[in-house]
Amino acid sequence: MEEGAGEAPGLGRSAASKDFRFYHTDLYDSEDRLQIFPEESTRMRREGVQAEMTHEPMRGGVKGKAQRDLGEEVDELVHLYGLEDDHDLGDEFIEENTPRIEVSEYPSYMMMGSEQRDWRLTGEAAQGEDLGFMGWGSVGQCQDLREAYRYSHGRASEEYECYVIPEEEDEEEAADVFCVTCKTPIRASEKDQDEHKQHEVTPLSKALESAKDEIHKNMYKLEKQIIEMENFASHLEEVFITVEENFGRQEQNFESHYNEILETLSQKYEEKIQALGEKKKEKLEALYGQLVNCGENLDTCKELMETIEEMCHEEKVDFIKDAVAMADRLGKFLQTKTDVEISAQPDFEDQTLDFSDVEELMGSINTIPAPSAPVINPQAPNSATGSSVRVCWSLYSDDTVESYQLSYRPVQDGSPGKEQTEFTMTVKETYCSVTNLLPNTQYEFWVTAQNRAGLSPTSERAVYMTAPCPPIIKSKEIRSCEEAALISWESGNLNPVDSYTVELTQAETPGASGVTECVVGIPTCECLVQLQPRQNYTIYVRALNVGGPSARSEPATVHTTGSYFPLNEHTCHPWLTVSEDGLTVVRSERRGPAKEPVPSDTQFTRCAAVMGNLIRVRGRHYWEVEVDECLDYTVGVAFEDVPRQEDLGANRLSWCMRHAFASSRHKYEFLHNKTTPDIRITVPPKKIGILLDYENAKLSFFNVDISQHLYTFSCQLHQFVHPCFSLEKPGYLKINNGISMPEHVTFY
Amino acid sequence: MRSLFTNRRRMALKQVSSSKCFGGLQKVFEHDSVELKCKMKFAVYLPPKAETGKCPVLYWLSGLTCTEQNFISKSGYHQAASEHGLVVVAPDTSPRGCNIKGEEDSWDFGTGAGFYVDATEDLWKTNYRMYSYVTKELPQLVNDNFPVDPQRMSVFGHSMGGHGALICALKNPGKYKSVSAFAPLCNPVLCRWGKKAFTGYLGTDQSKWEAYDATCLVKSYPGSQLDILIDQGKEDEFLSDGQLLPDNFIAACTEKKIPVVFRLQEGYDHSYYFIATFIADHIRHHAKYLNA
Repeated sequence: MEEGAGEAPGLGRSAASKDFRFYHTDLYDSEDRLQIFPEESTRMRREGVQAEMTHEPMRGGVKGKAQRDLGEEVDELVHLYGLEDDHDLGDEFIEENTPRIEVSEYPSYMMMGSEQRDWRLTGEAAQGEDLGFMGWGSVGQCQDLREAYRYSHGRASEEYECYVIPEEEDEEEAADVFCVTCKTPIRASEKDQDEHKQHEVTPLSKALESAKDEIHKNMYKLEKQIIEMENFASHLEEVFITVEENFGRQEQNFESHYNEILETLSQKYEEKIQALGEKKKEKLEALYGQLVNCGENLDTCKELMETIEEMCHEEKVDFIKDAVAMADRLGKFLQTKTDVEISAQPDFEDQTLDFSDVEELMGSINTIPAPSAPVINPQAPNSATGSSVRVCWSLYSDDTVESYQLSYRPVQDGSPGKEQTEFTMTVKETYCSVTNLLPNTQYEFWVTAQNRAGLSPTSERAVYMTAPCPPIIKSKEIRSCEEAALISWESGNLNPVDSYTVELTQAETPGASGVTECVVGIPTCECLVQLQPRQNYTIYVRALNVGGPSARSEPATVHTTGSYFPLNEHTCHPWLTVSEDGLTVVRSERRGPAKEPVPSDTQFTRCAAVMGNLIRVRGRHYWEVEVDECLDYTVGVAFEDVPRQEDLGANRLSWCMRHAFASSRHKYEFLHNKTTPDIRITVPPKKIGILLDYENAKLSFFNVDISQHLYTFSCQLHQFVHPCFSLEKPGYLKINNGISMPEHVTFY
Repeated sequence: MRSLFTNRRRMALKQVSSSKCFGGLQKVFEHDSVELKCKMKFAVYLPPKAETGKCPVLYWLSGLTCTEQNFISKSGYHQAASEHGLVVVAPDTSPRGCNIKGEEDSWDFGTGAGFYVDATEDLWKTNYRMYSYVTKELPQLVNDNFPVDPQRMSVFGHSMGGHGALICALKNPGKYKSVSAFAPLCNPVLCRWGKKAFTGYLGTDQSKWEAYDATCLVKSYPGSQLDILIDQGKEDEFLSDGQLLPDNFIAACTEKKIPVVFRLQEGYDHSYYFIATFIADHIRHHAKYLNA
């Protein structure tokens, strides 16, 4: 924004129409722009621009002053667009009018012109044109109206009635018809005059109506324009404030820069002056010394000369004597070197002045300072998905930033040898959604800001975490009864997650698919949820970490009719197989491995048995087992820790009904701790109902087909028990799970 | 002392006693029996539920030597009957005071030993019509005088009464919703008690006895759904004495696929202590069908 505003006035004055348009685009919403040119054609656009151009330089001229001062410029813009009155534009009117009239054969352009006038306030000339042009009236008439309008508009632009009133007042009293050809009202009597003789005329009232219509249309447009203008003015105010702030900051910036440079320069000056002074002193001292030395030599020479001259005047004998001594002395003197080299050069040594730092300062004087390090935010809750995180940071308000460089790498603990790849991306905003990440993984993020002046220091590093993968419900292991269900799942994530959420939707209401219940903060991979009896539920699980929740798991369904338990294959004797649906236990004819299975804590090794996983809820549980009349089987319940090396019913940890068929006789035993009551049953059951009642500490068996009660154990169930099934001979047992309790069993 | 009258039949019921028990009332009535031509007493327990609506009726047939008193005073059935809302009717075991020669001679024949048959021998046929009494006259009397649902009735009994309960149910398919017995005489035609009684009441033609023998009746039972519960004390002297013969009955039911659960209860004898131990199971067994 500041950029555009800064450049615009200069470009406007340069009268380059394209650049001028850029100026507009910056200040106006493009939407407005589209409205301005409903039927945009290059021709029209150019015309419009030219029209504006004609007044723009002129206004510049009126102001007569260089417009570098942006505050003033904006001020002027505001003034122009919102507040300029008619008189300011009065001068422009004639010049503007000329090109406008030329293009007046394009009606759509006139629409545009009107709009433009409103936005740019090129003057009411355009308005006048509109009134004049829209299908009626001569130029003269138009002129009249224009004048009248200008008059009224000067008073109050919102008194629309004024547009019309002058028209009526201007109507010549005598005129009663309207000449369409000349677009002028005439007196009916004039009709016969030669001027209008051949012309089409309409009654004046009709012409008046159409003129009024047009005016009302224009008024409506004006109303709209006023609203838009007001909006625009408030927008401009905002821009004004922004520009003021921006430039105020820029001024401060300039000032500090200039001060810095001046300081640097004066410092350099001081340094230089001092250095020069020292050099000068040093040189002068050297020269002075040399001069003194030179004078001494000169004195010596003179003295020698005088001595020699005196000798010449002496007697011959004396002369000879002295001459010898003199010659020695002279010889000695001449042998000593006379230093005639100038020790200090009078001119400067080659001294280069280093102004590079100043230049640098000068260079940076027009730019903003490099930003300071951004502040990276900690991760916001629920902002991550399984493959992405939204990283946010902030800048110091004084900084100007063009872009940020966001870098990250996965946090790897434990293996420092392994270099983690760093990724860097450039973003304009102060946030970034980083995608294509691994789920439930910590990433370290840091950010630097950048502008023309350079890079900021690096921010602190922040660790963000992607949301986990959705868990995988172990559908086959769901256990339920009428009041509750035990849901278990696999995490689906390699790393631990914070917790899990279970969502329950009651399927009975197909329309309302809202979540009816939500269990949150589950630390483990299973959850016992309380449910309503005889309902269908759809269950989802989500995993959570600091980054947020995972997507929903695949749904699992739970029916709270009767009790449902899967068979625990870990307990299954090797001779038994459990069908795919987990509801049929098969002992095949073929013997299993010849060797007896090794004793185990989980697997039955003596009797060919398997245990079911009944939900650990006290209350009543009912299930049925389909048996062959001639099959030898044992069905019942046992504690989880029932010895696997013993027969079911052979200890205090199990309660069972055993059937043996031998020599066409059925033998039914109800075994607990190796003992059974003596009970005879005349009709061999084909389907055995088993009712486990924790509250009354009872275990009952029924012949389902004839609703016959067979036997009830009274058993102290201090722990939870599980259904168990054993096949003493080849055959199969079919378990019916999740069935509601028949009425007859409710008596036991 | 008050009398109840019905519209259809002038049948006076005289209340002998009434005691509150488990919220309901244990009553004893006396009436003049048409079938038996003598005054008969019977006990009725009206559960609390009978105050507000019609209840099913469970008939108890007692064993040799018993009156209506033994069951109501010894078995402790009231709590279960109260809870399940059953009217329990316990008649006497034979006509009394009919002055028949030999009536009082032995404890297993005559008074207190009606064996729930309609006698055909001349000496006994006028009064000893206990089968008709317990299957027709008494139910009619009860239906007419008490808040009961005639469509819902069951029968159970002990020893000779167990035999009576079984034959009532087997001779009237569908009439009784369920039947159960404590140590019943399962095959009287083959035991001494049965032979003595049947000879005395029915004559020497053994083919006529079979109409009152549970094991024989099973063989011709048409197969209407009937759930039979039998409890038998393992230490019952009459079991080892061969008076009860449950195995014969079980074998017949197994062959005919008539549902029986026979429970041989370790250590129990033939007494009311045995009955009292398992009475609740039996009441529940009947309630299951009567309250279904």
